[in-house]
Amino acid sequence: MNLILPLLAVSKNADFLNSIGKIYVVVIVIMVLFAGIITFLFRLDQKITQLENQIKNDE
Amino acid sequence: MNIKKHWWKLLGVVIVGYTLVAGLIVPLKPGVIGVSHKNANAGDSLRMEVVGYNTHFEKGKEDLKLWLKGDTTFFIKGQDVAIFDDNTLEVTFVIPAMLPFDQSVVELSLLIQNGIDGPFILPSAIFVTHSPDSVRVHTDEWVEKIDLEIGSSVMAFPFRNILKETIRNTYFHVPLWFTMIFILLGSVFNAIKYLRTGITIYDEKSSAYATIGLLFGILGLLTGAVWAKNTWGAYWSFDIKQNMTAIALLIYFAYFVLRGSLEESAQKGKVSAVYNIFAFATLIPLLYIIPRLTDSLHPGSGGNPAFGGEDLDNTMRMVFYPAIIGWTLLAYWMGNLLYRWQTVKNKILFQ
Repeated sequence: MNLILPLLAVSKNADFLNSIGKIYVVVIVIMVLFAGIITFLFRLDQKITQLENQIKNDE
Repeated sequence: MNIKKHWWKLLGVVIVGYTLVAGLIVPLKPGVIGVSHKNANAGDSLRMEVVGYNTHFEKGKEDLKLWLKGDTTFFIKGQDVAIFDDNTLEVTFVIPAMLPFDQSVVELSLLIQNGIDGPFILPSAIFVTHSPDSVRVHTDEWVEKIDLEIGSSVMAFPFRNILKETIRNTYFHVPLWFTMIFILLGSVFNAIKYLRTGITIYDEKSSAYATIGLLFGILGLLTGAVWAKNTWGAYWSFDIKQNMTAIALLIYFAYFVLRGSLEESAQKGKVSAVYNIFAFATLIPLLYIIPRLTDSLHPGSGGNPAFGGEDLDNTMRMVFYPAIIGWTLLAYWMGNLLYRWQTVKNKILFQ
């Protein structure tokens, strides 16, 4: 039982990202991916709004 | 909405949804996170602490066996196993004074087997120092042959000691690069079409697809940086593949600078179409040839990507290939939205 202590200490001191088999790294990767897709959607939304305003001004 | 016209968009969404669910809920195979000893001398009697991951030491304790494995005929059997819980145990290995190996330091792997988990291994678990002049004589201290049983076959992804759960990033990082190359191929295809016909639509499609290709390239770099930080220790390791990809993306940045700097429509279309062809032509050596010629942290360093073995097994393929198709469909959709916006904008401007 003496030998288990150093190993457990290592896993307890490890930072959040290294916990539970580093699953949070996967979560962050997916978040980065969708942040990119959503940024694209917002920018396209803005561009279309500009066009709509232009049409309104022309009328 | 006419479903016959939009089916591929729905397909893309369904496939990406499937890869998110399957990529996250399928468990990892059992593996060993670490052992308490890294080094030993021949003749030692080791009391070793073993910490497993997704293992069932407690539940499968009836037929639990442990060995230190040298080659296919050298196994030291573990004795006096004390199980603390499903993931931790202690075991004693009596290392023989004479080891049948020529090297002075012998690398032994830890092999564990029980009825639930099947056999699994921690490669290079321990390094044993001995005097290599010993001759190979069979003693009872090591077994020549062991029988491996297959565990209960649940669908699971491979356990890699460095990667652990981040092996799932194979479905969220790697497909972005495939998507990028497919959408840029679409871009260069439309650039060639524009050069042949001179129809503005093709130029706008080409530019829109290049934008989406660049977006996926940037996302690939960012997701890769996050993965690299937690696997290789740094966001950017100046790995050959990272560097070449950065150069490739800069070449595509220049494409947009070039487009922005040209005023006249026909000139803009022609110059950027020609540049697009050259940019795509440089992409191939930068991404697929140069990284294979030298050492890389990426799988398949100095050779072909390791799209096999424990980097991509058949279970992973069931998620990985659909992810490429799904993201490519979504990227094509995004490119078409951008191109349609550009066409509408041109209509309004020239009225």
